[in-house]
Amino acid sequence: MIAPETLISISHVSKRFGGVVAVNDLSFDIRAGELHSIVGENGAGKSTLMKILSGVLTEYEGQIRLRGREVLFSGTRDAEEAGVSIIHQELNLVEELTVAANIFLGREKRTGLGFIDDRAMEKESAQLFEQLQCQIAPTQLISELRIGDQQLVEIAKALSLHANILIMDEPTSALTESEVERLFKVIERLQSSGVTIVYISHKMDEVFHLSDRITVLRDGKLVKSLERDATTPREVTHLMVGRDIEEVERRTGGTTGDIVLEVKNLFLPWTGHAREWRLQDINFSLKRGEVLGIAGLMGAGRTELLECLFGASPTQPQGQIWLDGALQFFDTPATAMQQGVALVTEDRKRLGLFDHMSVRDNITICSLEQITNLGLVSKSREQAITAESIDALGVKCDGTEVGISSLSGGNQQKCVIARWLRTHPELLLLDDPTRGVDVGAKSEIYKLINGLCQDGMAIILTSSELPELIKLSDRVLVLCEGLLTGRLEGDAITEKAIMEAATQRNS
Amino acid sequence: MTASLTAFLRQHRNELGLLAAILAVIAITATIDDSYREKPGYNAKEILRQTSMLGIFALGAAIVIISGGIDLSSGAVIAMSSTVCGSILFALSETDANGIPMTETGGIGILTVAILGTLFVGFLIGSFHAWLVTAVNLPPFVATLASLVGLRSLARVLIPEVTREVSGIETTKLYVYHEQLAFLGETWWVALAVFATLALALWVLMSRTVIGRHIYAMGGNEAAAQLSGIRTDRLKWLAYCIGAVTASIAGILYTGYVGTSDPTTLGMGYELNAIAAAVVGGCSLTGGIGTILGTALGALFLRAVIDAVAKTIKSGADDYEGMIVGVLVVLAVALNALRTDSGLARQFFNGKLGSVSIGILTLLSGTITFVMVETNKISTAWIVVASVLALLSLRKYLEVAAMRKKSAL
Repeated sequence: MIAPETLISISHVSKRFGGVVAVNDLSFDIRAGELHSIVGENGAGKSTLMKILSGVLTEYEGQIRLRGREVLFSGTRDAEEAGVSIIHQELNLVEELTVAANIFLGREKRTGLGFIDDRAMEKESAQLFEQLQCQIAPTQLISELRIGDQQLVEIAKALSLHANILIMDEPTSALTESEVERLFKVIERLQSSGVTIVYISHKMDEVFHLSDRITVLRDGKLVKSLERDATTPREVTHLMVGRDIEEVERRTGGTTGDIVLEVKNLFLPWTGHAREWRLQDINFSLKRGEVLGIAGLMGAGRTELLECLFGASPTQPQGQIWLDGALQFFDTPATAMQQGVALVTEDRKRLGLFDHMSVRDNITICSLEQITNLGLVSKSREQAITAESIDALGVKCDGTEVGISSLSGGNQQKCVIARWLRTHPELLLLDDPTRGVDVGAKSEIYKLINGLCQDGMAIILTSSELPELIKLSDRVLVLCEGLLTGRLEGDAITEKAIMEAATQRNS
Repeated sequence: MTASLTAFLRQHRNELGLLAAILAVIAITATIDDSYREKPGYNAKEILRQTSMLGIFALGAAIVIISGGIDLSSGAVIAMSSTVCGSILFALSETDANGIPMTETGGIGILTVAILGTLFVGFLIGSFHAWLVTAVNLPPFVATLASLVGLRSLARVLIPEVTREVSGIETTKLYVYHEQLAFLGETWWVALAVFATLALALWVLMSRTVIGRHIYAMGGNEAAAQLSGIRTDRLKWLAYCIGAVTASIAGILYTGYVGTSDPTTLGMGYELNAIAAAVVGGCSLTGGIGTILGTALGALFLRAVIDAVAKTIKSGADDYEGMIVGVLVVLAVALNALRTDSGLARQFFNGKLGSVSIGILTLLSGTITFVMVETNKISTAWIVVASVLALLSLRKYLEVAAMRKKSAL
């Protein structure tokens, strides 16, 4: 057997951001033509490494060799010229432009007179989609496409750049089952035409379905590179986490009290969209001391549902929201907050944190009225309650006055949760609270959720990780394209049941 | 103790830096110009008066900027307020035998009405801005730009109408001879007292109250503020009202100082001076960052530099004002940016734009030297041109060399 040719050789690559080491002395090889999966927990350094490989990050220590020659990309343009393309988890497309315009963005074809030649670009785009055996019209606007189709546009773009190394960063996180299957077929076709694929994921079934080899990262370091055939999902998971995962006991039938929340016939309009409703005829209720999980794929309406309950939707929902037996009308988050509702948002950086403010500012911002004397904020009391919150939630930080941005993701999230607990809510909405949070902080947040509902708080939880949702929820509601397609309780809550309900309309 | 001192220094390094810069400017001017040494009292009063006049509405501009918006209308609001104030005095004063109002006869009562009326108009203008921004959803830049051009024009067409209605004679500006108003406008400590009171009140508002904290939060991250149950619409209403009302106060004082309501010239371009004072004082145009003390010092610094140049140039000093403000704003913001980002290690003169910029900076420094020095204009200018060109070219050469070294590894 001929030894497979090494295509990319990564040796002793390190990258630090300020004091944080994101990637620490990594060395491994990627062989020509293989599908190489890179797996690891959040914060393991996967994304940073991929940014280095694709020329997004240009300053790092160590060396990268491409076909035996050392390279130092000056930017993504440079990397693309060398045949390396990346498809980010969050797609980089201009929604207002057409498919063809996006594929050729920055290297538009021109006519003899120097004007943009749309027809030539559309023709070539059509050929690319033919090659991928997908039906997407090059003249469509990106905003009209589903996420799965948008991803294919990115793949077509990479093909048009003659990429022979394609990096895919968690490409299936937003896809329905049928879209995932189509993507896998496209990947097979790409591989058979000689494209090397670096595939980032933490879904074991995908990784084992597709990979030739698997590299496990943890805390920025290489744990091991393995042949797919020589390992098991169990072993890989174990390597990823580095220890046996501390199992949080699934809560069983805690004492639940009176009904806190009742949602009746909730509709959320979606103006200018073919689907007309973001949410359609949602009915459910929630008791004191209960954790209700909301499951669904990206775009199913999880976040939108929580926004409705917090008066934060861009358009007013129709239908009724009853809180403690009283009909509510939440026009702004301020009203919802006064009625005892709290929302920890999914996008912490954009919608949760006040970046250039201190830990103290971030924790007390919602409850300043409680600590004023004659209209002036009492600084000593503010510091005292901040210290109290930091203590209660185990936030690791260097005092109350340090900037929130100096904290790790998990500690930032604890601060945001602390902010809302200070308002003493009756109903706590947690939108994917462990997103971008390290394993240790995750299990602390799990314990916190369990503790809060034991104290009688009603909690609605969403999560992008099904095991987490299953572990924490008393009941699970499943959304699919704005419809409530599943209600699961007790032992009926399984990954299989959730996925079936979540993809009901598509497959 | 030392730890808290370091914390204090770090927290206020912007203000302390400005204070040092102000003292340096004054010291340098004092060595060059005799007037600072011979008449320190007069000069101090004059600088303080001008600083106060600018500072009053610069504070308003700063609050709007910290809240995440921008107010381009202060100059026009000053002109409009002067028009309103003058018109009320004009309309309420007794008339002489020819039916011409004698504004000099108006007492405190009429003046109070005029001032309250003007402040109310300021409140209306600010509320209108807030409505355009929050309800109509206009970008603050557009909403206040409309006022910048619209209000002054409205004031200009109002004056002939008012004068014709009241006295039968149409004029394009109002002469206001009101004793108490003139006192308010001309006395240096009145402006200073108004400025100091405002600064103190706004400092308490911004750094000690819930509203102030919420304004900082909104300026830093509006979406997060809204999702934290903060009623951002009300805060914007307050911010734009403070912006407009402070400009109205300045408009009243300017009317007393110049003795006329002349919307054609009064307050022309002042909005940019106010924004400049805020920015030099450490406010970030992206919102959420800035202090009242910093803005006040920013106003003092601007006036001190303008005065210093006026003292050294002597004739036609007003023409230099815009140039000074422009240079100071770029320098202040650049210094702030360099402190945080990769600093002086970054590539300033990369590529073709870099080469063109070397030409621009050379030309600019040569031209500025040419207009500023009094003797040997041309030869001095050439020396400056040659040395700036040499220095910047050397810098570019070093940058290119560093880049090569990095890519060669």
